Amino acid sequence: MTAKRARNIAFTALVLIAAAIWIFPLYWALTTSLRSENRIVSDAGILMDELNFSAYIDVLSTSKLPLWYLNSVGTSLIITFLILLTGMMCAYALSQLRFPGRRALYLLVVASFMVPAPALYVAQFVLMNDLDMVNTWWGIILPQLIAPVVIIVYKQFFDAIPHEMREAVLLDGGGEFTLLFKLYLPLNWGITAALSIITFIGAWNNFFWPFLIVTSEGMMTIPVGITQVTDSFGVAYARMMALALLAAAPVIVGYLIFQKRVTEAVMISAGVKG
Amino acid sequence: MQDTGVHLREVRKSFGAAEVIRGVDMDVRRGEFAVFVGPSGCGKSTLLRMIAGLEETTDGKIVIGDRDVTDEDPVDRGVAMVFQSYALYPHLSVYENMAFSLRLAKRPRAEIDEKVREAAGILQLIEHLDKKPGQLSGGQRQRVAIGRAIVRAPDVFLFDEPLSNLDAELRVQMRLELARLHQKLGATMIYVTHDQVEAMTLADRIFVLQGGHVQQSGAPLDLYDDPSNRFVAGFIGSPSMNFFDAVVEAQTGQGVTVRLTGQPDLPLDIVLADPPAPGTEIVLGIRPEHLAVTDGEGLRVTVDVAEELGGVSYQHGTLEGGDAVIFQQIGARHEMHGTVQTVVPEPGRAFAFDRSGTRIR
Repeated sequence: MTAKRARNIAFTALVLIAAAIWIFPLYWALTTSLRSENRIVSDAGILMDELNFSAYIDVLSTSKLPLWYLNSVGTSLIITFLILLTGMMCAYALSQLRFPGRRALYLLVVASFMVPAPALYVAQFVLMNDLDMVNTWWGIILPQLIAPVVIIVYKQFFDAIPHEMREAVLLDGGGEFTLLFKLYLPLNWGITAALSIITFIGAWNNFFWPFLIVTSEGMMTIPVGITQVTDSFGVAYARMMALALLAAAPVIVGYLIFQKRVTEAVMISAGVKG
Repeated sequence: MQDTGVHLREVRKSFGAAEVIRGVDMDVRRGEFAVFVGPSGCGKSTLLRMIAGLEETTDGKIVIGDRDVTDEDPVDRGVAMVFQSYALYPHLSVYENMAFSLRLAKRPRAEIDEKVREAAGILQLIEHLDKKPGQLSGGQRQRVAIGRAIVRAPDVFLFDEPLSNLDAELRVQMRLELARLHQKLGATMIYVTHDQVEAMTLADRIFVLQGGHVQQSGAPLDLYDDPSNRFVAGFIGSPSMNFFDAVVEAQTGQGVTVRLTGQPDLPLDIVLADPPAPGTEIVLGIRPEHLAVTDGEGLRVTVDVAEELGGVSYQHGTLEGGDAVIFQQIGARHEMHGTVQTVVPEPGRAFAFDRSGTRIR
């Protein structure tokens, strides 16, 4: 056995151990969700030794899961659409239009990276409350529309499009909207898909803001809904895990379908943020 | 027929404090193939872009046909442009690239189809209509770019160095195609190039630009045979004209006798209508094909490089005083490299310029 082969085996083993560490929480959630509540708090082992679907049946029949799904899907889709649309238009203006204050505006966008979202929560909550938007979809959506990363990524891609192509459109009789929607956007479908996926996942997974702005059970998104699964004895672990897995299911399925794009998106946004 | 000529009056362009176009007046007549030629940075592309409306005109007036278009948007000027990089839309098929402007103008579907197919027919692109630009060769892409211009039926076609991205063989082929296209369409065309061979072969009229000015304009052979200054004389013609410093020795009845600096043995008689005074320092310009090898007295040239092109050869060498010189040989088969040759200018073929470069006639 050569040294190179030994190194390969060692490396593979290391990757497998890392993968096992990463997969364990998911495995544990699945195992727990398939056990009865009593068994979970007694002497249950690490192996999956029970196939009890009562937790799933319980959350599907007693909780407002379908409504939470609807809220999650609805708000996430609207957030994704609006962030992409406004981000793309803002990036186009910063990249292609010449107007006073353009550089200052771009610096402002870049600077907004430095403000962590939770720092704004109190002000945003007060604002949403004043606007009477507590317990509404818009209350969930509006504060989540700040996405400088989308603007910066789009701007970089728009900057790279040859100037002559833009001039060809102008000579062909196109204006700024034609340029954006018939040239710049179609040339960047790849990055648009990647940004859509990452924005959607971010909006779907967002817990804290919806948790603050929604108090009515009917308006909750899935991550917030999970906190509602308790019974008179306290936390119901099996039901909570079943709900968490059901909440994650669409994202996991989506990830499996668009795996390549998601990886791309993470790389791009990490590159910008890094 | 409607006048589709292009007329520029005192046109100026500044980028900040730098003035790049300094008061250009020109008239390109309807149906003419005009070529702007000049070295890099002479302002030829800027001038073309100003005609297209892609650069604002700082001062002066641009008239296309009988319309003042100085402040019009590019699309309203009746011009179409072919770019150096082709600027095709990579996500659209050849058909859609050519149909793009008509679709924006909301023309009927049948009309779009007819115009695109007609242009594709002229340019032999019919079988490529469904392909994307990425699947085409350089020459085909260039033809799509031209097709995109044709479908708009513009008054004026503008070409910005359209052949410079092609290899040498394709360039010659596309040059011929452009000349044929011009004959077929009969449209006004303005073409920018830094390649004076392209300018000479395509143009009805050449405008030689330098430093933001038109140095001279005229038919290619008029510029070649009768340049109005040293820059045009040196720029038009390949290889370039030879220039020698000389001093006027005496005035003759028809001109002057001059002596080349460092060549005291060779007095030359130049015919001039307005001869300068004896003792005036001038510059003589002689084209490579007007220097003939002789057995008698003449300029002694040490040949260091010989460019053999088959029918023609160009001998590059230096005079005894160190001046570089090129002379042409036709059909010669003897190796001149490393030899010393004696050459004399053909009578009446030398141009005289004053020290500032203006032609002395």
